[in-house]
Amino acid sequence: MMRIPTHSSVSWAAATLLLVAGCGGPDSAGPPPTRVISVSAGDGQTAPVTTAVQLTARVTDPAGSPEAGVSVSWSVVSGGGSIPASSATDADGKASATLTLGQIAGSQRARATADGVGNTPADFTVTAVAGPATQLKKSTGDGQTGWAGSPLPLAYAVTVQDEFNNPVVGATVDWAVASGGGTLSVSSSLTGTSGAASTVHTLGAAGATQTVVATSTSVAAVSISFTSTATVGIRLTSSVGVPANYGLHDTFVRDGLAFLCVWDEGVFIYDVGNGMAGGTINLPRLVGSVKTAGGNAHNAWWYHSPGGSKQYLFVGEEGPGSVGSSSSGSIHVVDVSNLAAPVEVGSYTLAGAGAHNFWVDENAEILYAAFYNGGVVALDISGALPSDLASRELARIQPGGAGNTFVWGVMQYEGGDIFASDMVSGFWRLRYNGGSFSVVGGGNNVPERFTSDLWVQGGYGYTGGWGNRGIQPGNAVKVWQVGAGAPVLVDSVITSGITTVSDVQVSADGKLLVFSAENGPNAGLAVYSLAGSPSQPVFLARYLVSQGLHTATVETIGGQTYVFAARNPANPALMIFDITSLVP
Amino acid sequence: MLILAALPATVRGQGGSTSATIAGRGIVTGIYSSGEPLGGDAFQVRLVQPMLMAHATAYNRALRVTSTINFEAWTIPDGELTIGGWGEGFVDRRHPHTVIHELMVSGVGHLGSTELSLSGGKGFAAFGSDDPSDRLTLRYPVNHHWSQILERAVLTGGILVGPVMAEVSLFNGDEPEYPQQSPNVDRFGDSWSARLTAFPVQGLQLEASYAAVHSPEHRAGSGTDQTKWHASAQWTRPLGGHPFYALAEWAETTEGDGLFRFDSFLAEMSWDLGPTRLYYQFESTKRPEEERIFAQPTRSVRPHLEDAILGTTQWTLNTVGIGRDLLADGGVARLRPFVEVSYVSVSAAGPGVFDPALWYDGTRFWGVSLGLTVGLGRTAFTHKMGRYGVSADAPPRVSTSHQH
Repeated sequence: MMRIPTHSSVSWAAATLLLVAGCGGPDSAGPPPTRVISVSAGDGQTAPVTTAVQLTARVTDPAGSPEAGVSVSWSVVSGGGSIPASSATDADGKASATLTLGQIAGSQRARATADGVGNTPADFTVTAVAGPATQLKKSTGDGQTGWAGSPLPLAYAVTVQDEFNNPVVGATVDWAVASGGGTLSVSSSLTGTSGAASTVHTLGAAGATQTVVATSTSVAAVSISFTSTATVGIRLTSSVGVPANYGLHDTFVRDGLAFLCVWDEGVFIYDVGNGMAGGTINLPRLVGSVKTAGGNAHNAWWYHSPGGSKQYLFVGEEGPGSVGSSSSGSIHVVDVSNLAAPVEVGSYTLAGAGAHNFWVDENAEILYAAFYNGGVVALDISGALPSDLASRELARIQPGGAGNTFVWGVMQYEGGDIFASDMVSGFWRLRYNGGSFSVVGGGNNVPERFTSDLWVQGGYGYTGGWGNRGIQPGNAVKVWQVGAGAPVLVDSVITSGITTVSDVQVSADGKLLVFSAENGPNAGLAVYSLAGSPSQPVFLARYLVSQGLHTATVETIGGQTYVFAARNPANPALMIFDITSLVP
Repeated sequence: MLILAALPATVRGQGGSTSATIAGRGIVTGIYSSGEPLGGDAFQVRLVQPMLMAHATAYNRALRVTSTINFEAWTIPDGELTIGGWGEGFVDRRHPHTVIHELMVSGVGHLGSTELSLSGGKGFAAFGSDDPSDRLTLRYPVNHHWSQILERAVLTGGILVGPVMAEVSLFNGDEPEYPQQSPNVDRFGDSWSARLTAFPVQGLQLEASYAAVHSPEHRAGSGTDQTKWHASAQWTRPLGGHPFYALAEWAETTEGDGLFRFDSFLAEMSWDLGPTRLYYQFESTKRPEEERIFAQPTRSVRPHLEDAILGTTQWTLNTVGIGRDLLADGGVARLRPFVEVSYVSVSAAGPGVFDPALWYDGTRFWGVSLGLTVGLGRTAFTHKMGRYGVSADAPPRVSTSHQH
């Protein structure tokens, strides 16, 4: 039978336990201390490992009077150093000892005690720091493979240490590209608490050995080499799906914002590096959107006026039409003062014709628009714009004449003449004379193909082809010399396995020719080099997209060259490609 | 087909209040065309229009089920050689129809002498003329997509009062994109049609139809809308003591708020001399031209990238044919060899960049078809696709009997 203890028996047992614990524990009262020992000097010092530091303790009676001739015992509590076993107090009650610090950086402790002080010794803490730097070691980042012209994913890192492998903080590490070119994020850096210093290598051109050397003045005659390999090609960095509703047509990119023209879904504004919504090239973030009247949002231009206003976005509407003869659709004016909530405020309609691509002379505040069978129209876009821009029409021209005009795109060349690509009548040079257009030259110069997009830069023009004229498919990029008069055909780049070159652009540095292609096994993105000669493009790379790419916009963001391409349905999307590695 | 032959053609329930029939048919044919996209000629042998048709009725035909299963998805996946034909992403090829061509349930009632019906399921909207596979020629007319609206999720109400019949349909506007695809039911009701038919005298049928179809060529619904009109007159009376049939139809479809306008006139007739049928069809129809796929010039880009077309072409066709029943009429099996010759011409109809002379390397073509129509089951050639409820009962039940 179990016995249940009574209240009194439990209390007695607890008291007994407390008494036993009190007798044996460190806080036992015991006999009262006859002396007091305390830290006098040396506590809290910082010194290099393995160096000597002086520690001093003081012994007094309980009343505080110094006691001379008392033997003080010293011991190392932690840190692995050494200290004499004892020393005697002087007339002031002080006893000293030399602590030789251990080899490991960090906190090291020593203790002083004496007879009669009871359980209250004097404890000293000394911070041991690394000694002089003697080692420079490779840490991370060596042996990577990356894209030429692009930063490597991992930084190169080295570690500076003393002879006992303790990290040396604050040591200077110098970085230099030894071969292969490229750039470094920093050429000199200080080691941190871990003793590490790093830099990021943006690789140079492919083909060369990519070597970076790290040195430190703290560690003479030692250098560390990092070697990586640069590859070239078209790299897909990210893609943004859009509703499968005729898909994405064109993308305008400026100030780190991408304006996606998504047909009846409207215009979507994405932060692709602007920062206003935290978006990046790798992770675009939606800022805002707007559905323009009539839908069919095809292309856009975010206008920055000479006065600095960024209020207006012009959106082209591509309505139904019969290629070569009829078209429809307006230019819509959208107020993007609040990019998160754009609102349409005006439009321009040309009766019997529809808008396609346009170009803005921002200094002169004139928008030049291709209007298919309507030709080319110049609009005054200065100041506050009315809801109907009919009164802002400055001039209009059908370069090929009625029945022979179906203008796909226009572009101003170096602030002067306007070039126009006409699906039916070819490549034209026009001049706006302040109130009227005139034909400078060209036209009726591509009889075997329908002409599509154009780009003019560096003394040369580039035009694409479209569909199938029955004679030849639109699988050519034609290269034109644009002197003072009519464009002169100097070369053609033929791509088998496509019928349409849907968009053409030259990179801002003039080194790359980029075009998108549709309809065929070689549809996708193509990049050519113009570095050798802008009149003779040299093939660099192709990225196949089975659905084809409707447009491709080249833009430089953060020193990298990107292409914003529109993948056709099904599964339409904005595809962002990094082509920096292809830059010669 | 062989399995079908072993089946009873008709099974009837007690007292005739319920019944079910099943039948099948198909055409083995060799087709030659002297014209092809990008030039040249072509010849193909195919089994076309392989179908199973099933009917069931209950409650003295007050409740009816009509279905047609089409197997063209497997026999002509790349289409049937038909220069001028187009639709559902095929060009110069007649496209395969969807597997479930129609599956409709109808309720039919009477109010005095007035007959009323409500039909629902997948099938034809009340618009235009009968499906070409139920008519004379093997060659599908170019106007197939101007004169019929089919393979939709549809609800049709009908009323037959004396010699006049009116029908109204609600349906989804989108055309199928491939044979196994179901109608986009999310779009049910975005389109409608109405058909008025009169039977003023014995053997004469007059018809007029209207339809408003939302975005037929873009399944998601962003395409242009179509407004469709159709009118026809049909005559079915003996001529010289032999069965005679004639049809004249006109159709017009406008699209993009009138930016595109396509019209068609078609006339056809047949004359049965015993087991031998002589027939002729004339057609003049406009069709849109679209960008074609690089590797398949008989296919156009789907889904569309925009609302533009390359132009409009005018197709004029004359087709004559002769067929003969090898088996006695009234049996459960039928064999009908036939030969059919078409003369086709094409021209550009208005401006546009499409030049048919360049594309086809010519503008005038011949077509010859030799075939054998096989049918099993008593309803193999009396089945009328797209006719539900009162429309299935309305006089006269014309029997062109699929005399290819």
